[in-house]
Amino acid sequence: MSGARSTARRAPGTGHPRRDAGRLVPGWLAIVACVAAMALAAIVGPPAAAQPAPPDPDAGAVAADAGRGGAEAAPAEEAPAPAAPAGGYITALAPMPGDAEVPIEWMPPGTSASPLPSDEIFPPQTITIRFNHKKHVKELKQTCKTCHADAYTSDAVSDRLLPKPAATCDSCHDVDHSDLRNVKAGTEANGQCVYCHIGESAGAGGKVAALVLPHANLRFTHKKHLARNIQCGQCHGQIDQLELATRDQLPRMAGCFTCHNMSGAAQGEAKGTCTTCHLTRPDGRLLTAFSTGDLVPPRWLFNAGHTPDWIERHKSVAADNSALCGSCHSANDCTDCHDGKVRNRKVHPNDWLSMHPQAARQDNPRCVSCHQEQTFCADCHRRTGVARDAPSGNRTTGRRFHPPPAEWTTAPRSAKHHSWEAERNLNACVSCHTERDCATCHATKGLSGGQGVSPHPMGFEGKCKTAFSRNPRPCLVCHQSNDSFLRACR
Amino acid sequence: MSGRRGFMASLVPAALAGLAGGGLAEREAVAADFVVESSTAAQAYEVASPWGDTILERRRLMQTLALGVYNLQGKYTPGEADYSVVIRLRLDADFGMNAHLEGAQAGGETDYGVGRGERYIPGLEQAPLDLMYAYVEGRNLAHGWLGFKLGRQYVTDVLGWWSFDGGLVRVTTPYFVQVEMYGGFEQRGGLPLSTSRYERQGVWRGSHADFGSGEGQPSVVDYPSYQYAQPAPAFGFALESNGPSFMHGRFSYRRVYNLGTSITQQFPDPGGGYRTIDGMRLSQERLGYAIEANKSDLGGLKAGFSYDLYNQLVGTFYGGLEAYLGRRVTVGADLDYFVPTFDADSIWNWFTHEPVSTLTGRVAVDVTRELDVAASGGVRAWSAEGDPDTFGAGECEAAGQPETCVGVGYLDPATEAIKPYARDEANRGATMSADALANLTGRYRFRTAEVGLRGMLQAGERGRRTGADLSGEKRLDGGRYALGARLSLYDWEDPLRPERDATSFGYVLGAGYRPDEVADLKLEWEHDMNRLVGQRFRVVALLNLRVAK
Repeated sequence: MSGARSTARRAPGTGHPRRDAGRLVPGWLAIVACVAAMALAAIVGPPAAAQPAPPDPDAGAVAADAGRGGAEAAPAEEAPAPAAPAGGYITALAPMPGDAEVPIEWMPPGTSASPLPSDEIFPPQTITIRFNHKKHVKELKQTCKTCHADAYTSDAVSDRLLPKPAATCDSCHDVDHSDLRNVKAGTEANGQCVYCHIGESAGAGGKVAALVLPHANLRFTHKKHLARNIQCGQCHGQIDQLELATRDQLPRMAGCFTCHNMSGAAQGEAKGTCTTCHLTRPDGRLLTAFSTGDLVPPRWLFNAGHTPDWIERHKSVAADNSALCGSCHSANDCTDCHDGKVRNRKVHPNDWLSMHPQAARQDNPRCVSCHQEQTFCADCHRRTGVARDAPSGNRTTGRRFHPPPAEWTTAPRSAKHHSWEAERNLNACVSCHTERDCATCHATKGLSGGQGVSPHPMGFEGKCKTAFSRNPRPCLVCHQSNDSFLRACR
Repeated sequence: MSGRRGFMASLVPAALAGLAGGGLAEREAVAADFVVESSTAAQAYEVASPWGDTILERRRLMQTLALGVYNLQGKYTPGEADYSVVIRLRLDADFGMNAHLEGAQAGGETDYGVGRGERYIPGLEQAPLDLMYAYVEGRNLAHGWLGFKLGRQYVTDVLGWWSFDGGLVRVTTPYFVQVEMYGGFEQRGGLPLSTSRYERQGVWRGSHADFGSGEGQPSVVDYPSYQYAQPAPAFGFALESNGPSFMHGRFSYRRVYNLGTSITQQFPDPGGGYRTIDGMRLSQERLGYAIEANKSDLGGLKAGFSYDLYNQLVGTFYGGLEAYLGRRVTVGADLDYFVPTFDADSIWNWFTHEPVSTLTGRVAVDVTRELDVAASGGVRAWSAEGDPDTFGAGECEAAGQPETCVGVGYLDPATEAIKPYARDEANRGATMSADALANLTGRYRFRTAEVGLRGMLQAGERGRRTGADLSGEKRLDGGRYALGARLSLYDWEDPLRPERDATSFGYVLGAGYRPDEVADLKLEWEHDMNRLVGQRFRVVALLNLRVAK
């Protein structure tokens, strides 16, 4: 930090240079000039970059870094510190040279299922250093533990596992990080701030850009995993093949399940329950709301991807694995719709009151998924006089909900006869009618009070014995106990 | 009477809130976690009968109060035993009940003694209070082998969403399997603090508390279809996979009984008597299995069915396949098969009815992290025993009348002339009609806003319905304020009731305010317009309170 820093350095006790200097231009003019410059830069300037713009190929700057041991050779003692190559260092800024795609086999396990780590679990990072893992491991024969020894004792995601520069970097690099408030760069190129810290003028004024690595929103212990001989690469992929390790090298849940699927003795501590890894609320449900978004399951986890049409699809997951739903949702989330008292517009859109008869005919959505028809539906239909068994005061003579009796009720059956509608969608009938309505015609003649019109389906006779033995009540609604039809089912 | 009952009912949650608050203050020394939640929803709107003469005023107040005490054992450690107690009460009042009745009929909907019962509706209550759930739970006992729940609780599986009062024990083995056993009483409407939501369909049950109690009160035989609410013993078990993330299956079995007396005969004997049946009889007995399996880089499948042992038929079946085409696109196909089945007390189990089958194809695309869309399309098939277009003509012919007698003549379908025709298998071959189905959904999520679209179409010989909703919400000041809006446009036709065809346009405007973490207030104004009802308005106010410690 010798060169650039020295210009900003001032003797102890001296005042702020800007305050001491006379104002050369009025403040408002400076602001206007800055804004104008920014606008101009936005229009014609280069794209924003953490590093200076790539060098002109002709300048030969590429050779200044990659594979050039000379850049790291110590210059003459009194010579000024070597400057960074024109255009800055361009390697170790990404996992692969030239930001090429990392082969899938080098990525963390589970990458094929989840190409990117979850923003909710691993919040975005700001990486302000360049570092070549491959070089350190393959060429310099360092191990992961050399730099990340703290991982071996780490019990929490909040632990800082990056190397402490004074203890690790400084042993090879010509720099002294022992006092982070006063880092002393050496004279070699590899000891200059800009050698590792990126950003234009890194090290200028004794400052480098902050490295922001938010901790994962997880419950995780490196110590336990390493103690079980789970090596770094089993979760992070082949970082020894990469230059810079980025957020992409963080684990994927699909990869975690490589172990967290086991059963019996092999399972050990690697339980597959969500709470093994995910943060929980006091009631044991997962914490799902994060500043980076809401945590939702991936599509490959029990087909539970919360797509825009999830409301139509969720029943298969709830039917199979309601405990999975309960990992994040309380029963209140279910009752809001399935036992709802306030119409949910995601299920029933506006003007549902006018539209619902047609929706019920079309069985879309299926009323009985949420409503007990003989009470919820029929109570309102009785109040409005729609139901046939509505109180006498609610039924005005001459009004009719269905088509005329000749089409709807009596024989011969027309194409609009109620029997076809009942056969196609019996639930629609049950939302208004009580059994007495049907017994009027379908009960046997005589004491049962009906007209003897059999409503039974084909093949009924083969089932009626079993049904009668288990519950004779429905039979006795329409048949007398000494009825010859009933005798056949006894 | 009912008004006072409603007022008293509303006091109960308030009193419980006070108790809960007191509990919080007194138990600070315990390392358990408390959550007290309350939700209040006030709604006002009108419901008009199809003829427009009866207009019900709905002035509804729904209030819930929930208390949860978690980690009674102290510190929560994943995988170790923990205990909790949860309870949630709900008041669902409609202070608009009876409001449309005046003079001699005022109060008649809920009081049989008014107007000779001409407006009385059995079971209707102005302010029912129900206990949604209340149970003690233990998890991960005996080194993770055991869990239990005791009290009113839900069970969710392929047999549906269900509630009972009783106990449940879960044995979780480390060998991919867990077993669940439960027993108790089904939650039934008409019993104290209960709703009818969880009963099987097809039976109208409720409280007969005032029935037959004296002059001016209804008699049981005035409403022969209205059955007594009686405790319903129930039990069941489930065998479930446990552990693997790539597959999960659950086998479920449940049996519920009806107890007590039920009127069978719906019309009186010549002497005025009604026949009844007593004793224990089956309400439902069903089993089912559901499975999901995935290969995380390939796709997934799901399937499930339920079999009704009383009806001796497959009541539901569904199956689906999904394929992951890259990281952004999922395509799939789904089949859904559903036959209505009812409580075993219901006559409708034994009425001819056919399955509703739906086959759809689907594509879901995560266009960007902010934008995702899903579209599906397919057919829904309806079946009938016989051909609706020719069956009537056959009946005419069987009765010795011209084929054109359909719609103009009257035949007694129980006569020996027609009955053989109607029961002849040759005339009852399955016929099918189909609806076309399509759905389109999408959403765009900004950092502080979301826009959503839902469109649908279903069309066939049984009518057509098509339309879409466009909705948006914007959160301001870090979520302290929220603004919402929704536009809806729908159009429908019903060939059976052409006078009820309509095009409807509606909008909703809403605003929310969250003063801090414990409170959330929302107000909504809804306005629908169509030719059937003209203008309809609805106002909704929602207040959620949550205190956790």
